[in-house]
Amino acid sequence: MKRRSFLAAAGSAAGLAMMPRMAFAEANRIDWFTSSDQNVMDFWTNVVKPKFEAANPGVTINLVDGGDNAGLQAIAERAVAALQTKTDPQADFFEGFDARQPVGAIEAGLWTDFSQAGLSNYSKLNPLGIDIPHNLPYRGSQVLLAYDTTKLSPEDAPKTWDDLVAWIKANPGQFIYNRPNKGGSGGNFVRRAIFQVNGNDPSKFEVGNYTPEKGEEMLAPAWALLNDLAPSLFEQGAYTSGNTQSIQLLSQSAVTMIPAWSDQALQAISQGVLPETTGLVQLTDLGLPGGFTRITLPTNAANHDLALKLADFILTEEIQSAVLTELGGFPGVSWDHVSAELREKFAAIVPTSIPVFPGGDWEKAINEGWYRSVAPNVDPNS
Amino acid sequence: MTTGAPALPAPMPDVNVKGRGPMGLLLVAVPVFLVIWMVIWPIISAVVRTVWLEDETGAYGISLRSYAFFFSDRYSLDNLSLTLWTTGVTAALLLVVCLPIALYLRFARGPLPAYVQGLAIFPMFVPSIILSYAFIRVLGPNGMVDLILNAVGLPKIKSPYLTPWGPVIGLVWDNIPLTVLILLAGLGAVSNQSIEAARDVGAGPLRVFWHIILPRIGNSILVAISFAVLGIFSAFTLPYVLGPAAPEMMGPFMQRTFRDLYDPLNAITQAVVAFGFCLVFGLFYVRSVAKNRAP
Repeated sequence: MKRRSFLAAAGSAAGLAMMPRMAFAEANRIDWFTSSDQNVMDFWTNVVKPKFEAANPGVTINLVDGGDNAGLQAIAERAVAALQTKTDPQADFFEGFDARQPVGAIEAGLWTDFSQAGLSNYSKLNPLGIDIPHNLPYRGSQVLLAYDTTKLSPEDAPKTWDDLVAWIKANPGQFIYNRPNKGGSGGNFVRRAIFQVNGNDPSKFEVGNYTPEKGEEMLAPAWALLNDLAPSLFEQGAYTSGNTQSIQLLSQSAVTMIPAWSDQALQAISQGVLPETTGLVQLTDLGLPGGFTRITLPTNAANHDLALKLADFILTEEIQSAVLTELGGFPGVSWDHVSAELREKFAAIVPTSIPVFPGGDWEKAINEGWYRSVAPNVDPNS
Repeated sequence: MTTGAPALPAPMPDVNVKGRGPMGLLLVAVPVFLVIWMVIWPIISAVVRTVWLEDETGAYGISLRSYAFFFSDRYSLDNLSLTLWTTGVTAALLLVVCLPIALYLRFARGPLPAYVQGLAIFPMFVPSIILSYAFIRVLGPNGMVDLILNAVGLPKIKSPYLTPWGPVIGLVWDNIPLTVLILLAGLGAVSNQSIEAARDVGAGPLRVFWHIILPRIGNSILVAISFAVLGIFSAFTLPYVLGPAAPEMMGPFMQRTFRDLYDPLNAITQAVVAFGFCLVFGLFYVRSVAKNRAP
């Protein structure tokens, strides 16, 4: 072979090797995506995956961090497109998603209806968590206020929104919440402020009822409320860029109170990241929003049957008890279906109601509005 | 870029002069193709996607409205000016910090410089996310610096965390290795004889630096600064974790526009604007390389 033709052949072979490979879902491998934080990823890696794989030889779970809700949204949109072209979506399992997204996906038949899917543990679910049958609630958590009991005694901890505002203003620099698009603890604090200026009525907000006029009318007063708080926040209006950073500031005793996810706060306390003297309190007029974390399964997934099996598996008492003990969340099944001993121990975080805020266009409007109207109060030269 | 013709190996004896042209082209074809495919094409596609827009009637046409929005929107302009401010301050600080280190490493004798060099290169091996959290622990409120100050009875520092100075400090630390290495390479071109000659006629250290060393390493300084500026302008992790919520640097701003606001058009517009600024520094670099290559 002449050298030049050899080079041409080698070059084109190299070029072919560099072309994007066609990827196919592997048989017996559940491609699993999450929008949750690292603690949930750890829970799946260390608890669910080994137990499930031991119970089902030959099956593996491919745990992938999808980043956040927007990340899963992009993968779900790909699954919708795959549904239309009858191709493989390469995603079997969504952790921490909402079947109402992308809009129209349920009507298109993308998401599995769990009430019809024949899960043996479906009847055990906590009725508080069931909203639509295409979402499978398997763990709950709620944003609450974590505070330093050495600086604020539990009797004086705020119990209502008005108490909280009064406390923040009376103790300037001692409260911080994170940016609403970067971790739900700050995001749900902002949403609680939005509920406050809308008569504490969560039913006014639905995933499909956003309009620009409505957004302006219902969100602008909340921005005014939050702007009013800003000078009394840490560094006269600084906002951390994630749940973890807020916890870090509380642990460094730089602030006295933060909004935090119940599961992250409990885990931080049990691991010693937050001291034993950390107190947790929920507002009683209307709690900070939270919710059940849901599983959605695309019907067109290559390993749909295995994904259903996994969904059923995580509703077993074994895994649901681990949600409490390992993750610090509350179970997705009714409390009758966890052991009596655990029921007793965790009585304090058993929720009676959890206000929920919808995603979709509202989320986008909140992210945009907060950054433009509330965040810039930080003086860049301070 | 090293894809130019001088990268060719010496011609082999059996290749006649006529065959060298196509052969050389073939050898550079793969890298050139890769650059066109993965760099040039995305740039063209981004520019086209931001100017070839659908109007109200659904017809496509050339429109500069996304740029008009960017340059008339106070919020976007604040972000751009914060990015330029951060880039300028960080580049200036880098030079102030790295030039003495590089001079020391070039002229000091003995075993100590090896350790200093190791220390100066160390930041290269620390991922920026780890750096960010370490920064909060050390320079953050009630961090290590505060604890030490407190222990000796001094007041706490005003923490740079969540202010524009947070990313500046982090980015300076992060960019020290590359800048020191480039400056050090440039200092290699300064001969000991010329310095000794200057000393012999009575030049002090400052004069030697100003008249002998600086003229020879001007080019390296330019290269080091353009490299640092390109990295700083598009920095993401450090400004995201350490900087204020608003104004934000272009990196976090683009990411947020794209992912949290589902607004690819404005995100790409921001990217093209950022690219325009980086292009200026890229041209500095190309010009200096071309000047060096000229016979």
